[in-house]
Amino acid sequence: MAHTLEASSNAGGANHWVRALGRRLIEIPPAYFVLAAVLIAIALLNPNLMKPQVLLTFIRQSAPLGVAVLGQLMVMRARSIDLSIGGVFIITNYLLTSGLLGGQPVAVLVLAPLVVGLVVGLVNGALIALVRASAVIVTLGVSIILTGIVLFMSSGRPPGRVPDELRAIANARIDVVPVPVIIWVVAAVIVAVLLKTLIFGRYLTAIGSNPQAARFSGLPLPRIVVTTHVLSGLLAALGGVMFTAALGVGSVKFGPEIMMNSIAATILGGVTFGSGRGGVAGPFVGVVAFALLFALMTVFGIQEPGKLIVQGTVIAVAAIIYGMRTR
Amino acid sequence: MAMLSALLPAPRNSRAGPWYLVLACLVVVVAVVSWSAPLFLTPGNLSNVAAQITPLVITAIGQTLVIITGGLDLSVGSLISLTTAIIVLDLPGWAMVLLAIAAAVTVGTVNGVGIAYLNVHPIIMTLASMSVVQGVALITRPVPGGTVPGWISGAVNESLFGLPAALVWIAVAIILAAFLIYRTRFGLHLFAIGGNPNSALMNGVRVRRNIVLTYILSSLFAMGAGFFLAGRIASGDANVGTVFGLDSITAVALGGTSLSGGVGSLVGTVLGSVLVGVIGNGMNLMNVSAFLQIVIKGALLLAVVSVQRRKQIGL
Repeated sequence: MAHTLEASSNAGGANHWVRALGRRLIEIPPAYFVLAAVLIAIALLNPNLMKPQVLLTFIRQSAPLGVAVLGQLMVMRARSIDLSIGGVFIITNYLLTSGLLGGQPVAVLVLAPLVVGLVVGLVNGALIALVRASAVIVTLGVSIILTGIVLFMSSGRPPGRVPDELRAIANARIDVVPVPVIIWVVAAVIVAVLLKTLIFGRYLTAIGSNPQAARFSGLPLPRIVVTTHVLSGLLAALGGVMFTAALGVGSVKFGPEIMMNSIAATILGGVTFGSGRGGVAGPFVGVVAFALLFALMTVFGIQEPGKLIVQGTVIAVAAIIYGMRTR
Repeated sequence: MAMLSALLPAPRNSRAGPWYLVLACLVVVVAVVSWSAPLFLTPGNLSNVAAQITPLVITAIGQTLVIITGGLDLSVGSLISLTTAIIVLDLPGWAMVLLAIAAAVTVGTVNGVGIAYLNVHPIIMTLASMSVVQGVALITRPVPGGTVPGWISGAVNESLFGLPAALVWIAVAIILAAFLIYRTRFGLHLFAIGGNPNSALMNGVRVRRNIVLTYILSSLFAMGAGFFLAGRIASGDANVGTVFGLDSITAVALGGTSLSGGVGSLVGTVLGSVLVGVIGNGMNLMNVSAFLQIVIKGALLLAVVSVQRRKQIGL
């Protein structure tokens, strides 16, 4: 790669080289720049935070989101969107804290939400791919229904506490690395390998770069869309379990925030609707960048409204950069 | 009557979408509700329903313009909240109105330019601006409260010729939008853009400029809804508008407007909003839990979009 760059610089002069560099820079997902900027800001403003121990603690809080983002990125590459992630988190939280599964072994505590996530993903996928309803409306509607069910079952009051076994897992560390971060990294590696090696991954790229061509080549589009939504449902449920275990108590408030953040991190990571581009690494870095950015803002006493503004601005700017690139 | 028929789209106009379905639904729901809850048809309750649905009708009308072009505006909810927060600021009346209009035009312009000129998907652009506007609203009014100027409360709660003021607000919004959609070139271009933006461009429609204009209009209608809502709840509240983002889309979809653009009608949207309002009011009268109502609303939304099969899979 370096060799070709050098050759073209000799042929076309400095101007050409600059343009090639510019093109290469704009290919890099915005997440990397945001992460670099945040790390520099932390190092300059509060060097005490620049320890692996501290940074990993911040990152641990975002591990559940990171797992959910793995699903969102597949869905968005298939030109769909999953706005029901918040709803899945909320119903998972209810299942684990309401005492419905009281006294069950950890395996059941983890599996029950996964089954719910699977069903939610199937319903989303079926309505979007087979009935051909709008993905935005379907997943928003499903999210509303899930939230409504939880509010109805709990009469609007947050339910009880998380079983201790789950809490222990969420707080455990292997050496300095928190267990949730390990689960996240493992899940990300599995998804990345799957996308690289399986035909499913190539299908996603094909649909993303040209859905017309993909359809004419006989790709099973409906099946792919259903698969991405089922995977997204499963990963959202796993994220929900991790989130609830870390939170420790029942709550019905965090749904919209998780949904927004999952889209924000995915876009920041260089995946847009069917661009055919974007891997697992970009959104992964996107989640880390957001985690550290919010941690930095918390340190400086910036409250919820400020975070909303920054989050929206980052989404818009990242999307605009991508829009200009794909023109 | 002649004026009414001029505002209605022609019955066999395929561009209007299946709005008569929502009419049939509405008749059935009204019959069921008034049979099981006799209170429903009393004048007191009906004017209550009118006041409840007014912000939704106004927001949904603006949303219709955007959806006809094939877009979507998720930021209307937080703009409504921001408007109520601006209204209770301690400012002279004219400054407050100017500030509200400036806020709405800014949000609409940013949305429109991002979508039409910078190639950002409408969902992402309006989701981003929703977040920013929500943040600004929370900074402007961290906790619900403040005093709403008397003239706004008056314009919302008084009655005109024995009719509740809410009906006047609805009528003004409908007439304005009906003129825009059915009596101007801009309205025709909306359908052309939604049907096929490329051929609209080939035929000389200024696609980008018109798209920016629809988002500005959508924001302005949402601002109007914010004014009404502030008068009704008599305070500013940075979270009061949240529900309208999705409710307005539900109402538009109920009215037979296609979410992929090019097909839609004003009458469908108005009837759709009324249906959402009547179902809510009916369930209240029948003592259905507010939380169960959320579930039913979501299920209704899924049912409606499932009926409208589209050609393509996706957003």
